[in-house]
Amino acid sequence: MKTRHTLVAAIAAFALLGSACTTGGAVEQNLDNPGTDLRSEETYDPRAFEGESINILLIEHPFVDTLRPLIPGFEQETGITVNLEVLNEQQGFDKLQADLSAGSGNFDVFMTSPLQNWQYSAAGWVEPLDGYVGNDGITMPGYDFDDFAPGILNSGRWTLEPLTGLGEGPLWGLPINFESYNLTYRPSMFEAAGVEVPTTYEEVLVATELLAGSLSGNNYPVVTRFDKYWDLTYLTFGSMAGAYGVTLLDEDGEVGIASAAAVEATELFIDIIKAGSPDGSSAFTWYESLQGMTSGRFAMALNEADLFAPTYENVSESVIADDVGYAMIPEGPEGRSAGAWIWQMSMSSSSENKGAAWTFLQWLTSPDVLMETHLAGNMNPVRLSAWENEELSALVETWGAEPGQYRKVLAETAKIAEISVPPHPELTRALNRWAEAIQQSYFDGNVKENLESAAADIESILR
Amino acid sequence: MLIARQVDSPRHSTSHRRQKRSFVFMLLPALLLIVGIMFFFLQGIARSFTNEKSYIRNPTFVGFDNYVALFSDSTFLVGLGATMLYVLLVLMLQIPLALSIALLLDKTSFMRRIGRNLIVLPLLIPPIVAGLMWKTMMQPSAGVLNFILSSIGLPGGSWLTDPATSLLSVVLIDTWAFTSFSTLIILAGLQSLPKSLREAATVDGAGWWQTFRHISLPLLMPYVVLVALFRVADSLKQFDLIWPVTRGGPLNSTRLLHVQGYEEAFRFSSPAMAMAIIFVLWIIIYLASFLLLRLWRRTVNAVD
Repeated sequence: MKTRHTLVAAIAAFALLGSACTTGGAVEQNLDNPGTDLRSEETYDPRAFEGESINILLIEHPFVDTLRPLIPGFEQETGITVNLEVLNEQQGFDKLQADLSAGSGNFDVFMTSPLQNWQYSAAGWVEPLDGYVGNDGITMPGYDFDDFAPGILNSGRWTLEPLTGLGEGPLWGLPINFESYNLTYRPSMFEAAGVEVPTTYEEVLVATELLAGSLSGNNYPVVTRFDKYWDLTYLTFGSMAGAYGVTLLDEDGEVGIASAAAVEATELFIDIIKAGSPDGSSAFTWYESLQGMTSGRFAMALNEADLFAPTYENVSESVIADDVGYAMIPEGPEGRSAGAWIWQMSMSSSSENKGAAWTFLQWLTSPDVLMETHLAGNMNPVRLSAWENEELSALVETWGAEPGQYRKVLAETAKIAEISVPPHPELTRALNRWAEAIQQSYFDGNVKENLESAAADIESILR
Repeated sequence: MLIARQVDSPRHSTSHRRQKRSFVFMLLPALLLIVGIMFFFLQGIARSFTNEKSYIRNPTFVGFDNYVALFSDSTFLVGLGATMLYVLLVLMLQIPLALSIALLLDKTSFMRRIGRNLIVLPLLIPPIVAGLMWKTMMQPSAGVLNFILSSIGLPGGSWLTDPATSLLSVVLIDTWAFTSFSTLIILAGLQSLPKSLREAATVDGAGWWQTFRHISLPLLMPYVVLVALFRVADSLKQFDLIWPVTRGGPLNSTRLLHVQGYEEAFRFSSPAMAMAIIFVLWIIIYLASFLLLRLWRRTVNAVD
């Protein structure tokens, strides 16, 4: 019981670094508050928007499979028809952006994240949700808005002021899960090679080299995403950079990605990949990473998403269910650092069925429905009450090389997980540019030069 | 000429009137077309001189800032170079290949019947599908290409995953997809050549190579230049083959200008920058087409 409370406390304390940079006098947004007058009745009626139909864009993710079976129930309960479109991450975001920028409102509800929403909300494409949440005529009794982990919920708030104001201002999306990053490993492979699970990045390289000697055939020591895409520098490598004291903007607000520590971290990261990943790993996305690990071909997934655990542990999707362990994300010279990713659902401001769209949004993010998705593998819960659930606790308890291993790692990770980038509409572009410099260094080895050139470009992107 | 027409005109007054009428009928669609295209074209150019971005609510004119930024941006310059290299590789590979296949198909009526049907097959596959198909085959560890290479004792390639080979790999896919188009045009040219000239040359004792070099090739030049014109314009704006296959990567190795324009518009919500890139690309295509058309006219005159 005590450990469970530690976990809840850790998740409740989830930090937004961006909000720490907030200046005192954040601009008060004078937005009108849509959703407050959507329906005049006092009490909630699930069938208030019966007969309407909504289109939802989802990004391919373990969450989606947990949601699908629940949709018919929602349709029956509300009389609203739901059309799901599921696309992979890059295509999905491309299509979403094309739709949002055209203002055609094809998608009423979409899966998104703070990072994407900084771009969309600044352009006026996202509906602020505070008015909807506060309207009892359209929000079910027992929705319990205060049950969301405050840091996670507030990651959906932003004042629209570049580089500041994260965690304040209007609510642009509701969270459905959050992930941080750990070291997932295969106990049998480590044992066979006589290698200890590494605790620092230096040790990761040593372990990789030792594992490379003991693994044969199509098996490799390390898998991690390594695409020229913002998720590398925001999340996985971003976490490693944090452990070297490197963040996109340093304490003085300068672009800090070309410092001596940044060069050191980048060189080590590239060395690890070169020593332990197969050819073609320079194009690995999170999907290849997840598939690679579940196929049993890799000894460790470095800095990969902890919410892959339900997939690893699922015997019908993975061959490693009996042979997988979780360890803390490795340590660097400046301690441990872990990025945080929060999947959210938002409403398009050009939706023509906002009532039906909100009915879906509040249904999906209500305690019971979210709980059902969690039990089916949608990790990690964003409502504090979910962590008190016996069934979920019992399920999570079995994950790892020893009982409670996943939970312990998550509780420790949640204490350090944070969004360590400042909000900005063009942040994805800046992070892409950084990722490009790292990938370029993988091919040509000119780490310092590439990082300096990226830093100069990022400077002009952000200001 | 002018006098002749003036003298002629009274006699052809009905046809003249009909001509006038049809001119009026054609005016409307032509105007619609010109206005429809020119309006958006000019609007696009105008936008390229603003700082328009999705989150900038009131864009202002910034003069040539976007163009200055482009030509000092390493990504754009690399993309410009990659675009030129792409076109060059396409021409160097596809024209000799199309010419050889056309000559082969022209040789016998049997080859022509079978071959002409087979050769159009890649044309029936949408570029996106062709791209994804080849992407799977070029996969370094699980793709069939490296499997075949290794089974005959050759080392496999990194294909699309290595910036050193990715552009060439895409050009190979392009070659697979579009060489048949070039072949068909050249084959049509070959078949329209007067047989008598070649027969006369053979009778005079010229070998196959001499006949080809001095008779067929000069007569074929208009067709070859026409193929070059199509391929240059198409490759300069190549997008639907590249985007599904590499999305411009790895690194910037296949980030041709059209890909960059797309990314600016639909990924980074910067229509102004996108328009600037597309306008630069348009100028390049226009110049290339203009020069090739002049060359084409010269080859046609030479044949005449």
